[in-house]
Amino acid sequence: MKRPRHFHSPLLIAVLLGVLLLAACAPTAKRPVEPSQKTPAKPYEGTELTLASMTDQYVTAFRYLIPKFEEKTGVRIVLDELGYVDLYSKLTADFVAHTGNYDLMTVDIVWTGEYAQNKYTLPLDDFMARDKAALALDDIMPVAWTLGEWEDAHWAYPLAGYANVLNYRKDVLDEAGLEPPRTQEELLAYARKLTDKDKGFYGVALLGAKGPPAAQDYMAFVQQHGGGILDADGNIAINTPENVEILKFFGELFEYAPPGATDYWWDQRETAFRSGKVAMMEGWSIARAGYENPEISSVVGKVDIALAPVEGMKPKYGFGGWGIGINADSKHAEAAWAFIKWLSSPEIQKEWIRHDGAPIRRSTLEDPELNEAYPWFPILLESFEKGDGDYRPRIPQYSIIQDALGVAVNAYLVGEMGAQEALDQAQARVEENMR
Amino acid sequence: MRSRFKRSIFFVEKHYLLLLAPLLVFVAAIALYPLLFSFYISFFKYRLTDPNQARTFLGLANYINAFHDKTVVTAIRNTFVFVAGTVSIELVLGLGLALLFSGKSRGMRVMRSFLIIPMALPSLVVGLVWKSLYNVDFGVIPYYLKQLGLDMGRGPLGEIKLAMPAVILIDIWQWTPLVMIIFLAGLKSLPREPYEAARVDGASRWQSFWRITLPLLKPTILIVLLLRTMQGFKVFDIIYAATGGGPGTATTVLNYHIYTVGMVFFKMGYAAALANILLIIVAVLAVLYIIVLQRQQI
Repeated sequence: MKRPRHFHSPLLIAVLLGVLLLAACAPTAKRPVEPSQKTPAKPYEGTELTLASMTDQYVTAFRYLIPKFEEKTGVRIVLDELGYVDLYSKLTADFVAHTGNYDLMTVDIVWTGEYAQNKYTLPLDDFMARDKAALALDDIMPVAWTLGEWEDAHWAYPLAGYANVLNYRKDVLDEAGLEPPRTQEELLAYARKLTDKDKGFYGVALLGAKGPPAAQDYMAFVQQHGGGILDADGNIAINTPENVEILKFFGELFEYAPPGATDYWWDQRETAFRSGKVAMMEGWSIARAGYENPEISSVVGKVDIALAPVEGMKPKYGFGGWGIGINADSKHAEAAWAFIKWLSSPEIQKEWIRHDGAPIRRSTLEDPELNEAYPWFPILLESFEKGDGDYRPRIPQYSIIQDALGVAVNAYLVGEMGAQEALDQAQARVEENMR
Repeated sequence: MRSRFKRSIFFVEKHYLLLLAPLLVFVAAIALYPLLFSFYISFFKYRLTDPNQARTFLGLANYINAFHDKTVVTAIRNTFVFVAGTVSIELVLGLGLALLFSGKSRGMRVMRSFLIIPMALPSLVVGLVWKSLYNVDFGVIPYYLKQLGLDMGRGPLGEIKLAMPAVILIDIWQWTPLVMIIFLAGLKSLPREPYEAARVDGASRWQSFWRITLPLLKPTILIVLLLRTMQGFKVFDIIYAATGGGPGTATTVLNYHIYTVGMVFFKMGYAAALANILLIIVAVLAVLYIIVLQRQQI
């Protein structure tokens, strides 16, 4: 029997399908670039950068400032706004696979060591040495360099400095005849005094949710008691007797916090404070301006801030915030650096602050106009001057510590285990995962 | 004649194979390869964030360690509680709803389409919505329960004893409609004759349900059990969004723990070993279901 002539047709179909597939996968045509001459003023014209940003308050400032930078330089910046957990895992995946999807990224202070050790981001020292004259480096607060500095190299540039401060309700404390607490013992005593459970009013708002919130809030209280997560030699020392006592103190504070506080992330703690349910709340200074915004706050004009209450030590205040780094795999490092340079320049920093950014420069913090608009800047300045950016260990293993503490602290707060047992378990979990 | 027939079958098959080839290559690339790779790396110590990308051969150590890992044991227990809770309640509720809405009136059809809405929502969204509803300080559900004079403590997702039932309730809300739809299809395919015969013999509706409907629905029940058990073991989004495995470890299910090991600690070898353990548990259960239910059918 002769083979039918249509024998080749399936093969033909397959080939055609393949061609179609390939065609579909081909890169889409680039957006038509306006025919403009490449002047030296716009050397990066047409470059496209992708910026991965945490959805903190400063993202508003990015949204406002990026178009201005685009207009000035012709660089296009795609802003990808991500929550804390997503940002961390997306960035890690991008770094590990060397896909280079993100050129720029906001880098949490606590990721510094990890990023430096693995060389995820580009060390910026060459850029900084080259452009020294234009950067006004001396003007940047010394503590702000902890946002990205690791073993004498800069893996991220300071972007937004946060100070741990005490927010309190002026009206409530006045009525009770109290001054803002200066020590941790006073904080606890006042929280007890101001709590009125029948009226649904509580002394203090805290972070207790399993994961980063519980871990970070606990570490803030460890710092305020003069303790630490690492010992003097830099070894992991979570389950020390001091830390167990501090965990018990932290647990006691929760008795005067809203009942749902063991489930609070940052946003819910903010909601609790802004809705007028609590008298005091320690937190990052960047949230301060929002309390005066009637759209999101029902405590407008009733809030003031004070230095964080500390116990038994020479005052040091928790410092945190974000740096901005350039992906080591980025193909547009020069353009990315141009953005960082522009953003951190003293003039643009003022705009950055006015649109919910956070300060890194002394000149910004001492600017008379800004001080008028933000009367709490002197407190920030003092907190920054005595800032401690290392209370959450910025070591490469930070995320392991945070995860272990996040489980243990929450387990203690909800009564699953005792304080000693919880911290023992955290210590074991860290040691086991560092191997 | 016969050989010609045979040849044409062969000939047709060849065509089929050729046409199927792209799909087979595709399946091998996206399903088979990752599966084999995960088996392979589960015998290694492999940290994704290790700058040298070193893989150290460990043999079965990852699997043995898993059973000495307290969190894994808790997670497996929690997973079984979650699966037992969701599957049993969804089965009963789904069957009940299917019987209720099997009618043909227009109202029934409208109601049925409303009930499908939860299923159409992404689980992550469902988890976040319920997290807000459950919030003890601002949420709706605790608000009304408090009005009734109940002490809500730290709230449904904050109390160790309440968290698991609360999460199970979310899953039930989302997936009972799917069970209902499967049962509706099952009910539609039942023969009418046995019911008519039963009515002639004077059987009550209750009797005909127990003696006719249920036995005839066995294949459908098997499908529901298999589908929901497998999905239950793989639950992640709802837990991730609503509790993050908390409070403490009260809702840490195995899949969530695998995520922590893999995507927080980036210990890929160990995570792969845990994932394979999950796979084995599900496979064994699936085979058991099929054996038990098929034996009863004969």
